[in-house]
Amino acid sequence: MQKKFFRRLTEILGRDRIAASDLAARFRAFQAVLDGNNRTLEAMTEMGEKLGGDYLFDINYTKSAYAHLHAAISDSLRNFNLLTDHQYPQLTNTLTRIDILVQRMLSSAGPLSDLLLVFYPEITWDLAEEVGGKNYHLAEMANSLHLRVPEAFALTIAAFASFLRHNHLEGRLTGLANGDDADLTELRAAILAGDFPDDFRASLAFALEKMRARLGEGATLAVRSSAEEEDGDFSFAGQFETVLNVPCRVDAVLNAYKEVVASLFQVNATAYQRQLGYELGKLKMAVGCVAMIEARTSGVIYTVASGKDRGRMAISAAWGLGKGVVDGLIDADLYTVAKGETPQLVERRIGNKAQMVVNRGKEGIETLETPADRRQIACLNEAEVLDLARQAQAIETHYKAPQDIEWAIDTTGRCYILQARALRVEESAEETAQSPKEAELAGYPVLLRNQGVVVQRGATAGKVFLLQHLDELDKIPKGCVLVARHDSPLFVQAIPFLNAIITDIGSSTSHMASICREFNIPTVVNTGQATAVLKHGREITLQAREGGEFVVYEGIVQSLLREERQTGAKLRELYEFRRQKYIMRYIAPLNLVNPLEQEFVPEKCKTVHDLVRFMHEKSVQALVASAERKGRGLGRFFGGKSALHRLALPIPVQLLVIDLGGGLRGGIGKKEADFAQVASVPLRAVLAGMLSPGVWQSEGAALRGADLLSGMTRTADITGGGAGLAGHNVAMASKEYVNMSLRFGYHFNMLDCYCSDTPRNNHIYFRFVGGAAAITNRSRRISLMAQVLAEYGFALKAKGDLLVGRLSGLSREEIEKILGQIGRLIGYTRQLDARLDSDEAASTLARRFLAGDYRLDL
Amino acid sequence: MTKHSIMFIDDEKIVGDMAKLSFEQDGYEVETFLDGESALARLQQKRFDVVVTDMKMKGIDGLEVLRTVKKLYPGIKVIMITAFANLDVAIEALRDDVHDFFPKPVKIKELKASVKRALGEG
Repeated sequence: MQKKFFRRLTEILGRDRIAASDLAARFRAFQAVLDGNNRTLEAMTEMGEKLGGDYLFDINYTKSAYAHLHAAISDSLRNFNLLTDHQYPQLTNTLTRIDILVQRMLSSAGPLSDLLLVFYPEITWDLAEEVGGKNYHLAEMANSLHLRVPEAFALTIAAFASFLRHNHLEGRLTGLANGDDADLTELRAAILAGDFPDDFRASLAFALEKMRARLGEGATLAVRSSAEEEDGDFSFAGQFETVLNVPCRVDAVLNAYKEVVASLFQVNATAYQRQLGYELGKLKMAVGCVAMIEARTSGVIYTVASGKDRGRMAISAAWGLGKGVVDGLIDADLYTVAKGETPQLVERRIGNKAQMVVNRGKEGIETLETPADRRQIACLNEAEVLDLARQAQAIETHYKAPQDIEWAIDTTGRCYILQARALRVEESAEETAQSPKEAELAGYPVLLRNQGVVVQRGATAGKVFLLQHLDELDKIPKGCVLVARHDSPLFVQAIPFLNAIITDIGSSTSHMASICREFNIPTVVNTGQATAVLKHGREITLQAREGGEFVVYEGIVQSLLREERQTGAKLRELYEFRRQKYIMRYIAPLNLVNPLEQEFVPEKCKTVHDLVRFMHEKSVQALVASAERKGRGLGRFFGGKSALHRLALPIPVQLLVIDLGGGLRGGIGKKEADFAQVASVPLRAVLAGMLSPGVWQSEGAALRGADLLSGMTRTADITGGGAGLAGHNVAMASKEYVNMSLRFGYHFNMLDCYCSDTPRNNHIYFRFVGGAAAITNRSRRISLMAQVLAEYGFALKAKGDLLVGRLSGLSREEIEKILGQIGRLIGYTRQLDARLDSDEAASTLARRFLAGDYRLDL
Repeated sequence: MTKHSIMFIDDEKIVGDMAKLSFEQDGYEVETFLDGESALARLQQKRFDVVVTDMKMKGIDGLEVLRTVKKLYPGIKVIMITAFANLDVAIEALRDDVHDFFPKPVKIKELKASVKRALGEG
């Protein structure tokens, strides 16, 4: 017993941990995280391609591909936990959840949990299957988009299974595929006569009591279907029963529940299921119980008014309940809104609303004559129209597809979203299949051809938006072709609106590339010249083919676009195809984008891609933190063997280098090294920048007095074991990595960089903290540095006199170039303070610096 | 011009379903079968222009389908796809005059090109 306990203790303290002093082990763990992440992203890319519709695959493929991916991310996570001292246990839970969901998907297993009932605010991402599509989407609009939806709860597919089991109906379902209409009728009757297990009744009773407490005794519910996939890729519109005005009483709700469930087996609904490739009896149904809204006005929004004009949405509205509008019974008002950052009401057609549907409580729904004075007046004012439009845009953006939205405004003026589902936009009739003739294409000048990497194929067109700085991301208009120097995961916020992306530099396995594939955004990277050739505002057409060929034409080549719309899409109607492809939902989407945002927390990781992103960022931070910690207990590095060298440079900077392996060449064991011995690629690049002619001006204005002395002279006595290094100039370097802390007086620079031949692994993290000067000068200095770094695509965060910049995914050559610039910037800024007496001065000096002019006089 | 007909045999429904959708889009007539037995029975009634078959199936496997087709209709080209590609099987199939041999997952475009070649259109 004692022995066992001891062993466990050793395990906890030892094997699963890295000793605080063992920096080399931490660095190995860091590299293992990068390696695992790479393999994960590669597997993800491969699966995305194979499951994308271009390949015939079977379940064996999907299973083995997923197993491969899971092994890679597990490796990564294990090393990440070591590196971070198990600081993020939530990630392990998240990966386990994802794994369970995927495995369940792969094995077509039944419900995951035995949860019978769940209130909307508790519906999390991993409950999507349990609560069915409609419940999930409505809850998501409240929980993620913070839109107002009615009070509601879901009866899960576990509840459905428990109801069927209790009434011995499962057997009948299995035989249904070969049955006829009479079997369906019989089954419906058996469902309507069914009884409920006690725990089902008890959960419902509890939920209804809660609803009554919140909404009042007289509150009523709409009980409606929420089948698997309903409102997902397929709307199931009008296929199933909805029972309105159900009182918050157990028996009433149970009766309504049975009606809804029975409608799964109505003849028309079964035809629809067959069409979608469901074997009859396989579709599972959750049910939603949603508080009825006392509607003053209701209606429907199509976020795309017509196939020809995707820039406009149509809002129809009528007095009372929406039923009249949905069923097309009422000559409703029609409001056309131009979409955009500030939506514009462009057309208003007031219908002659002779009738209205009202809720008569227990007596049900009634269609009444509208009072004469209300028939021909608008039932929405402009503010309400625009408010609805903004909500609809948010929903469309979130789901990345045109939406069909039902809404209601209650008698107190509160607006509720009742439902949103994908809107199938019909292509206009003249767009028939016809391959474009060569002759037809000859009329369009070719701007780019084949030099680059096709990330996502497709034909698309739009106006070029030439991105100069990352802070212009929110200015990108919908439907444009984004042309940028580098690719960046930050583009994800714009991707849903984009028609295509073309970059000068980038790789097909970057985060951005994965996202583009996930969203089917035609994308070409590494063209080398897109930003030079493609002019801002010009209309172009991109045709990117599988196999890597692509052409960019000047102008809009309609014939190519028609061709594109014809192919694909059909495959989605195969249930099995969707089921296997759907596991990608738990793998590919990226929710964590900007590491500087508060949302960048383990709790927000929902997919494998999120885990990869999170682990990458936190690994860098963990390594930096341990390097900083290590600076304080130096003598014991590498089993007492000194790896520490004083670097002699021809500039007044003294730098200690800790060689992690391959960082310095020759002279190991000696305590001095010079620039020629620096073998670390990133350290060499940044030092080369610092040594650039003209940068290190000795007459610099701020270089004086105590600041100068403290910065230049406070180099530790490295011969003494255990001498503290905190606050001194230290670089930890291996062949491909450097972590460097440089302090000049009150300026503190921290650089962490990995620079290898695999662009995806490469990153630069640069941090600057300045002090001493007056606060306005400090922020001008930050502004100058930010202007320079932004030029290279850094994601930046500046606060007071702190600046943090991050950049990743660039090639070794690009990283080296940028490091050179950072080296120059480090040297340059240390003498800046006194010169920055105006905001213009900061901008002028930034521009000069970028042009290679390092003079400080204005 | 009459449509070319393709017989597609795979014990996993999704493979046949996807193939059917993709090939019908290109104007082929496609019939799918989940096992060798039903496929061979159908071959007694109807002559297809090309047969595409999975290799490993319960009961009558792809190799047996290949041999039977060649016996019944020596002119029909047979294309084989398999998740368990190994050299022995491939050689055996080649001996029996298989037209083409693909590992799964197979790129639909490549399969289409192979079918075209089998029809003498490539």
